Formats: sequence, structure tokens, C-alpha cells
Amino acid sequence: MLLQILNGLVYGGLLYILAVGLVLIFGLRRVVNFAHGSLFMVGAYVGYAIATYFGNFWVGLAVSVAVLAALGVFLDAIVFRPLQREDPIVTVLVTFGILLVLEDAVRTIWGKDFLSLKPPEALAGTVQILGESFPTYRLFVIVLAAAVAIGLSLWLRMSRIGLFVRASSVDRTTTAILGVNTDRVSIIVVAAGAALAGLSGTVSAPLLALSPSMGSFILIDSFIVVVVGGLGSFSGAFFAALIIGQLHNFGVVYVPSAATMIPFLLMVGILIWRPAGFAGQHV
Amino acid sequence: MSQPSERIALPATPILARVSRQVWLAIGIAIVAGSMLPLAVTSTLAITLLTQAVIGGILATAVGLVIRQTGLVSFGHAAFFGLAGYFIALPAKHGLWPLELSIVLAIAMPTLLAFLLGLVIVRIPGVAFSMLTLAIGQAFHEFAVRARLATGGDDGLAITLPRTVFGVATEVFQRPQTMFVICWVALVGVLFGLHLLVRSRFGRVTTAIRENEERARFLGYQTVVPRALTFAISALIGAIAGTLFALYNGFVSPESLHWSLSGSALIMAIVGGTRLLWGPALGAVVYFFFKDVAGDLTEHWPAMIGLMLIAVTVALPMGISGALTKLLDRIRPAGVRRDG
Amino acid sequence: MAESFAIEGVGLTRRFGGFTALDSVRIAVPDGEIRGLIGPNGAGKSTLIDVLSGRADDWHGTVRLRGEDISAFTVQERRRGGLARSFQKTNIFPELAVREQLEIASWRAESPNVDEVLHEMGLAGIAHMRAADVSYGDRRRLDLALALIGRPTVLLLDEPAAGLSMRESVALAELLRDLASRWKVTVLLVEHDMEVVFSICDRITVLHLGRVLAEGAPDEIRKIPEVVTAYLGSTVE
Repeated sequence: MLLQILNGLVYGGLLYILAVGLVLIFGLRRVVNFAHGSLFMVGAYVGYAIATYFGNFWVGLAVSVAVLAALGVFLDAIVFRPLQREDPIVTVLVTFGILLVLEDAVRTIWGKDFLSLKPPEALAGTVQILGESFPTYRLFVIVLAAAVAIGLSLWLRMSRIGLFVRASSVDRTTTAILGVNTDRVSIIVVAAGAALAGLSGTVSAPLLALSPSMGSFILIDSFIVVVVGGLGSFSGAFFAALIIGQLHNFGVVYVPSAATMIPFLLMVGILIWRPAGFAGQHV
Repeated sequence: MSQPSERIALPATPILARVSRQVWLAIGIAIVAGSMLPLAVTSTLAITLLTQAVIGGILATAVGLVIRQTGLVSFGHAAFFGLAGYFIALPAKHGLWPLELSIVLAIAMPTLLAFLLGLVIVRIPGVAFSMLTLAIGQAFHEFAVRARLATGGDDGLAITLPRTVFGVATEVFQRPQTMFVICWVALVGVLFGLHLLVRSRFGRVTTAIRENEERARFLGYQTVVPRALTFAISALIGAIAGTLFALYNGFVSPESLHWSLSGSALIMAIVGGTRLLWGPALGAVVYFFFKDVAGDLTEHWPAMIGLMLIAVTVALPMGISGALTKLLDRIRPAGVRRDG
Repeated sequence: MAESFAIEGVGLTRRFGGFTALDSVRIAVPDGEIRGLIGPNGAGKSTLIDVLSGRADDWHGTVRLRGEDISAFTVQERRRGGLARSFQKTNIFPELAVREQLEIASWRAESPNVDEVLHEMGLAGIAHMRAADVSYGDRRRLDLALALIGRPTVLLLDEPAAGLSMRESVALAELLRDLASRWKVTVLLVEHDMEVVFSICDRITVLHLGRVLAEGAPDEIRKIPEVVTAYLGSTVE
């Protein structure tokens, strides 16, 4: 039972790290980044490639995060910023197109077959938790997710940029009027969002099999987390990821059909009840 | 004061009488050409691909209709497509009732579902609507995958057809040459039906609602029911595509419900252009061309489709059909305002 | 008084958060009158029109149309009852042709009078053109024309002359006065253009900070010191 819960926390943790990146991007640019799952995937593959080349997982992780941050800056500059004033659906469609391009790129470079990455030596064993053996690496994922949550929370509360992010999430127009360079803040935030996607991707590599479609899988779940958690809400994403992670796990084992429908039904319910976050803040 | 009537009065002249000669001609040519195609194209593989393209075109038309008439973008139309397939497969598997009834239900039930759903969700603006349709579509997919006992899960369900249906031998559905003609006629029929629809009062009113929902209300129109009806009609078309698919392949699986299918149909609609009714079908041709023909030349068809989607969304809002039409208008100044 | 008014609002109150847009406003316009509604920005004029036309939610009070309580009526039901309105921010169908949108409006009307309205509003010449392609002034007139389809009995107009040139405003004013008398329409007109207001209105209601400051014939209003200093000195923004 404990193991079940812990496993649920593992997936929930991965989901959280990824979803919080979505929340960051949505909060600032008010766009739904359909390519976010692809960023996750690219992160996993880059991490895999570098780690395999250098024989060091941590190097792979670091490089992957950096590459994804750069990719985020690129995305913000050529997609999110220019399309700000258009109908939000335009960005959705364009990022959807990017999803296809990225999937193809990955498939071209690494092929369709499933790849796997071994966890780093230091975390390869198991630990004893209340008499049960639990893989160290999985515990690492849970701890990492918690660290991200705490770190993010501190950053949002303490730093200037964090303040701007929170202000922008609540009211873009006023924040812009107050002289905050929303564009510059956006670049940093989108880069952070993409970097988190990369982090989640690389970290997930030893747990999931790498394939070009891994991004699409987790994309929907991350959308559900963001919506159910309340658009733009970081703490909401945390709790939602927790719940979805557990449902995922329990669902697979105990009540297949019903449990896996719940996240969707939750998302549907919330969108019907409160589409406000998506109603768009057209300039 | 009595309740405002929700019914919109029918026009005075019979609607068929007002169809232009050009359109009748186009339909005639299309049907004849389509029927002759299997004679000209001998490769069974090619005909099979074309048939799939036509079925895809019908689904894309459904997605395009919603965009054109309501401005809403659906990411979940595979739900109606796949649902139709299961409405054929499940009764057949359990020998519940004859195939005739299955076909009727396969088309009617998704339509009804879409109408009821539509009453709730068409009020929801923009991107939220899209996310909603995505979630609903995936919910169906998840259910089909998980409920193995009922739906066969990922393995899907085979469909054994009886010898005849509606008095016609069912082998026509499984033979590529005949099935192509059936699907092609279905596509032409759907497009013609939509042609009548958008010209009808109902079609014109829904266009107005799309343009300015608030003013439409102030003119006295109920705006939820018409949009829900439009959504239902598009589901009907999607269900037709799904029925044809199921009959042709003799098989249905959760893949028919996956959001990637909805996404493909959406791409076809956008790339082809939704302003003209036949735009999405053209988009389907382009899509399948890249996938199955150019696919041999370049394995990067997904990336090309992705780039095309981006290009069209950003630079070519009217889609390829719109661009083509503009080009033709420049060469031949017709003066007639073509709007599908 | 025993008479019933064409349109009447009693105790109309609307608050957003801490801000009171309307504070127990009473307005009663008799049949056939052209009533002007003036006041500075933020006085509550548009809000009042919104409440009377059914566009606002979250308000208190009673609205009566020819004595019948329509407070709970939807926008569509009010239109059916003969209450129509135009909009301050032009609210038309950009992609549709002028005639097309008037026709669509006419299908919900008891007496479809598309040609009449096209003629009266001077839109006949551009009837086939897309609304987005015509001039601003024409679009303004189209906004008003949509409200005139079906010959409403009560017309609520929210700054119909906004953005129009002097000449166009004067023409519009004359048109309104002429139509109102021929069609026997009761008009409640929000306007900043004082020329228009004073030339055609039978009576004027002055709103200030959500309350009725004064009400009376144009000549009387002109003389009230508070009104003179605060409002008549201001020009169209």
C-alpha cells in the first residue's frame, strides 16, 4: 500500500515539474503551449544523448536543462511574443505544429524504437522505507519534485521577478502599465518553464521508455493538472498533480476504467464551471 | 408575453429550386468523375489510400464546419468518428440487432450526444472549448482502452458483416473499388447538404451568431440552440465518416478515438481552409498526399504537415482553398462572390 | 399618476464591488416622447440603458414596458415586446453584407421592413457591401438600422452620433425626430452631442454619479446652474 502511494507520488512528481512549467508559460503569455509535451520529450532525448555520450547522468541532466531553456527563449521570441495579440487559438495551433515538427526531428535523429536510460550509479539501489524496499531513484524523483515546489514557491515570493510573475498572472495590463518590462520577464519565465519541462523529461528517462510519442502521452495529463489546479495557480498545480498521480497509479492497478476517466471528467467539470481562466485577456 | 419561438421560419421558395446551375453541374461532374476513377486507377493500393483520404476528408469537413459556422475549434471530433465505429462493432459482436439498425444508431447517437453536449459547451469561449473537446475525446479513448471486457481494449473489435445490408451486398463495402465510389458519393452528398445548410436561414443565422453573438441576441435570436445544432450536424458528419471507416476496415479500435486523429482532421481543415466548404476535403487530399505519396520521398511528412499548419495559421488564414480561389479570381474576374 | 409609461425604471440600483453605478434611479418616459439622457462620463447613462435593455446583470429595481413588468425578461423577450437598442461601441456583423444583416434581423420581427429601413437610413446604396468595408459613419447608421427593423415601439439609443461629423450628427438628429414622429416610437437617447440633444428632445434627464440630478424640458435644464457649469460646458470628447 505504501509502495502504491509512493509510486503515485513519483508520477505525480514528474507531472508536477512539467505542469508547473505550463503554468508559468500560461501565466505570463496567456497561451496554452501545445508543444510542452514535446519539450518534455526533447529534454528526455537530449539528456539521454549527452548522458550516454559522457557516461554521466548528471552532465546529461545539466545540459538538457540548459538546452531546453535556450529552446524556451527561442520559442518565446519567435512564437509567443509575435502572436500575443492574435486570438489565443492561433498559438495553440502553431504550437501544435511545433509538436509535430519536434516529434519528427526526434524520430529522425534517434529512430522510433524505445530507448532506455539507466539511472545514475549513486541512485541505482534501493532504500528501506518502513520495512519495504523502494528504488532510490524513485525516491529521488519525489524529493526533486518537492524541492522544485519549495524552490519555486520561495522564488515567487522573494524575488523581484517572482513578484512580477505573480502580478502578471493576476493582471497583465496593470503590471505592464506599471512599467514592468513584461517581454523581458516573459523570456526568463518561458525559459524557466521550458527548462522545467526538460528537467522532468530527463529525470523521467530512467523510469519511462523513451519514444517520440512520450510527449503526447504526458501532455494531456499535464493539461488536466493545470486546469484542475486552477489556471495560473502554482499551488493548485501541486495538489492536482498529487491527485492525478495517485489516480493514475491506483487506476492502473485497482479500478481501471473508472479511475482513469476521473481526471478527464474533473477537467471537463472545471472548464464548464469556470472557463474564466481561458476566456482570454485580449488586448 | 409568450416565449420567443426558437424555430426559424422556412424560406418561401423551396430551397432546392434555388441551387444554382453551376452547383448542379459541379455535383454531376464530381459524381461521374469519382465513379470513373477506379477504372482509371488500377492499383488497389492507390484506391485504398484514396478511399481513406475521402473518409478523412469527410471527418475534416465536419471539423471545418464547426469552425466555419461557430468559430469554435474542436480537438475531439474523433469521439464521434470512433463512437460510430463502436456502435457498429458492439451490436455485431453480440448479435443484438441487424446491421441496418446499427448503422442508423451509429449515425444518430453521436449526433444526439453532440447536441446535448453542445447545449452545455458551446457557451464556453475560445481555447477553453478546445481544451474541453480534447478532454472529452480522450475520456472516450481512455474508456475504450480500459473497458477491455466490453470494448476489446487496445486490441479493438473485429466486425463481421452479414451478407447484405439495406438490400445491398456488404462486399461492396470491403472492395476498394466500390467502396471508393460509395465514400466519394457520401462526401459529395455531405458537401451538397452543407451547401444547402449554409444558404438556409439556419445557416445564415448561425453565421451571424458567429460574427456577433451579442447583437444576434439583441435582435431576438436564441444563440445556444443553433450552435448546439451546428455542433450536432458536424458530429453527424463525423459519424458518417466513422461508419464508413468501420464498414470498410471491418474493425474498430481505440485509435479511432485518439486525439491524434482529431488533430489530423483539424489540421486538414485548417490547411485546406474552412471558409469554403470543400476546403477541409482539399486539406485531406494534401495531408494524405504528404503522408502516403510524398511519404516515400520524404519520411518527414509529419514535420512538413506541422510546418504547413504553422504557415497556414500565421500567413494564410484562408487555407489552401482560399488561396487557390483568390488566384483563380484574379485570372478570371468572375464577380460572383464564392463562399462555398 | 395613472398613465402607464412606454418605458419606466423604478428604484434601479447597480453596484460593482464598492462602486455604485446607479443609485435608486427613477426614469419614466411617456409614449411618443423623445427623452434625452445626459451627464458626464461615469454618470451611469450607459449602465441605465444596459439595465433597461437587459444587458446588465446584478441590478435591483423594476423595469416596465407599457406597464408590464419586464424585469425578469431576457434580451430576446424584450426585443419581442418591441424594445430595441443601439450601441455606443458599434455592434454589427462585420463580415456580412449590409442588406444581409438587416434581413437576418427582419426574420425575428413582426413586420419585416428591410427596404424601408435601408431607405430611411440612407444605406440603400451600400446594401450589398460588407459591413467591414463601409465607412465609420455608415457602420454607425447600420448599428442604428438594426434596431429599427420591425419598427420597435421603444428605442434606446446609446450615443448614436459618437464619432460622427457635425453634418452627419445633424442629419442623424433630424432623421431620428422624423422617424420618431412618423413611426410613433418612444426614444430614450444617450448623447454627449448637445446640439443633437437640445434640437430633438422633448425632455431631458440629467444623471450625475448614478443619480438623477434634474429632469425637465430643454429650456429649463439649460438654466439650472449646476447642470450648466458641470455638463453643458463640456464638449464631445
